[in-house]
Amino acid sequence: MTGDGPAGLPPAAPPPTGPPPGPLEPWPETVRWQAVSTDLIWVELLRLAVLIVILLAGLAVGWAVSGQGAFGVALAGVLLLTALRTVTVIRAVRAWGYAEREDDLLVRHGLLVRRLTIVPYSRMQFVDVSAGPLERAFSLATVQLHTAAAATDARVPGLRPAEASRLRDRLTALGRDRAEGL
Amino acid sequence: MSEPAARDPEETRPPVPQPHPGWYPPAAPPHPGGYPPTAPPHPDWYPPAGAPTPPVPPHGAERRQRLHPLSPALHGAKSLVVVIAGLSWSTLSRVGVGWFVVLAVVLALGATVLAVVSWYNTGYHVVDRELRVHEGLLWRRTRAIPLERLQAVEVVRPLLAQLTGLAELRLEVVGGGKTEAPLAYLSVADAAALRQRLLALAGPQPEAAVPAPDTSLVRPEAAPPGQPLHTVRNTDLLLSQLLTPQAFMIPFGVAFVATQFLSGDSWSFVAVASTLTAMAGVLLQPIRRVLDDWNFQLARAADTLRIRNGLLETRAQTVPLHRVQTVGATWPLLWRAKGWLRLRLEVAGYSTGEADGRNRPDQLLPVGRQPVAEAILAEVLPGVRLDDLPLTAPPPRARWLNPLGQPVLGAGLHERVFAVRSGLLTRQVVVVPYARIQSVRVVQGPVQRRLGLATVHADTAGGAGAAARDRAVTEAWALAAELTARAHQARRASRPR
Repeated sequence: MTGDGPAGLPPAAPPPTGPPPGPLEPWPETVRWQAVSTDLIWVELLRLAVLIVILLAGLAVGWAVSGQGAFGVALAGVLLLTALRTVTVIRAVRAWGYAEREDDLLVRHGLLVRRLTIVPYSRMQFVDVSAGPLERAFSLATVQLHTAAAATDARVPGLRPAEASRLRDRLTALGRDRAEGL
Repeated sequence: MSEPAARDPEETRPPVPQPHPGWYPPAAPPHPGGYPPTAPPHPDWYPPAGAPTPPVPPHGAERRQRLHPLSPALHGAKSLVVVIAGLSWSTLSRVGVGWFVVLAVVLALGATVLAVVSWYNTGYHVVDRELRVHEGLLWRRTRAIPLERLQAVEVVRPLLAQLTGLAELRLEVVGGGKTEAPLAYLSVADAAALRQRLLALAGPQPEAAVPAPDTSLVRPEAAPPGQPLHTVRNTDLLLSQLLTPQAFMIPFGVAFVATQFLSGDSWSFVAVASTLTAMAGVLLQPIRRVLDDWNFQLARAADTLRIRNGLLETRAQTVPLHRVQTVGATWPLLWRAKGWLRLRLEVAGYSTGEADGRNRPDQLLPVGRQPVAEAILAEVLPGVRLDDLPLTAPPPRARWLNPLGQPVLGAGLHERVFAVRSGLLTRQVVVVPYARIQSVRVVQGPVQRRLGLATVHADTAGGAGAAARDRAVTEAWALAAELTARAHQARRASRPR
């Protein structure tokens, strides 16, 4: 997790208006960011590995059959890209973060393009909790918050099941309390 | 929307002797007319599954009604057009005119028979605060449309329907991928009455918000009911559509086809006809706009906007004012000499599902001068004026990303709305009331990070929302915080309604 806010502050705080925001981390004194589980790195890497293995096998067969050097170059290129991608996957997972404030949920992610989404609980339409086979193998789950706006992008992957169900229950409870809809 | 999730009237009724096998009515034969003649409106239509729910008040239930008996004929005639388009020019050249006509008629007749079957099995009624639509012969479907989620109602009358005195009723509901439950077709009086009823049920105060009965649909040329706000002159509309890039392209397209036809022998009639058909789709958009927005009339009745337009296909659209998500103003380059602009409104129901934009009845003002636009905007969002929005440009370093457009970009926090401006040639201003903001996003791309800029998005349920592009990072965070806080306050303020 990059740039943690000062620990110990309660996550619930009034919506910040006064204090000047920092250049990279908004509202460091009122928002306590939570990182997602680092096991997500393995999930993402395995996903990548499956793709790469298929690609490499195809290229290797092509090279063996045709004997053209271009396949070898492509193989080397794929390996190089894999190495780069591995680094970004690790960093990208560390960059995921979410924070629960009194009235809204913050989600931030992305390395190259950084995104921060602020979703008020009152606007929540429904919550998705999903876990694919790979995620289940590492006992992780994804919580996604949907609003009426299609552009809302509030997905939190890599949560422990207990944390995922806690978040889901909290979100639905808060959403029911304050439901406003449109 | 496919299952009646909410209320199950079965729970409150005395037990029915037959066991329910599932979705289908029990073995007892259907009622002779398909409709129970007495008070219990629909004994067997709903699956027994579902949580126990509060009893349905008896006054909310009513008999199921059919669509107008002429609807299958209209559907059949409509399918004739589709069939001809599907058979295409090449088929015509291959089989000859005689067979082509036979083929088209047979296919259209088949479609009509299907339409009759589907008409026989389709019914609707209002139960409590829901509109229920039953349809399907093999796959029976009951849709319960909660009216509190109704966003807009539209009465559409295509040319054929105008000739036969029918109308189609379309409801826009949040979360529907497309227009929910187009009731095609009803008689005009039924459509108007049903619209009135649905809007009254959907309104915040069901009793108070019943406006005077809407009689205008009987006379389509009459002004919409309520206080008229504006009528667009048809000459202005024509001229404005001539001042579009597509209109300038038409002569070139025609000249291209003509020269091909005259010079080369290789071009047969079919080739020319196909090319013309293909080009029509793109180039005739201005003409379609003219047809769609002909006789554009805007009126206000109580808390709703009434929009009526169309030449061949008339639409009468009713939008409750509190359902307006965003309002956008556009100044196309070629219109600037005339000082014209266009206003659009976004309602949550008109989703991006209908991609061609033609079926999105989002016009608030197809063409008009600034004072007219200001007057309309004042009705929709009181207190907001286009010419004194507090817009500020992003910092000068945003020029790296927008070499020419940097001074045009702008964003600002008005008392009631978030406003953004963009577009060098086609200038656009989008206005989002704080109470309609669904979520706020801050996005920073790699170049923006180097320059210390970020883009702030305010997402709304309908349309694309508003994006303040390339603000300084500190300002972007402050903007996001302020937007969240103001959206929260606006929701708080509007809750006790």
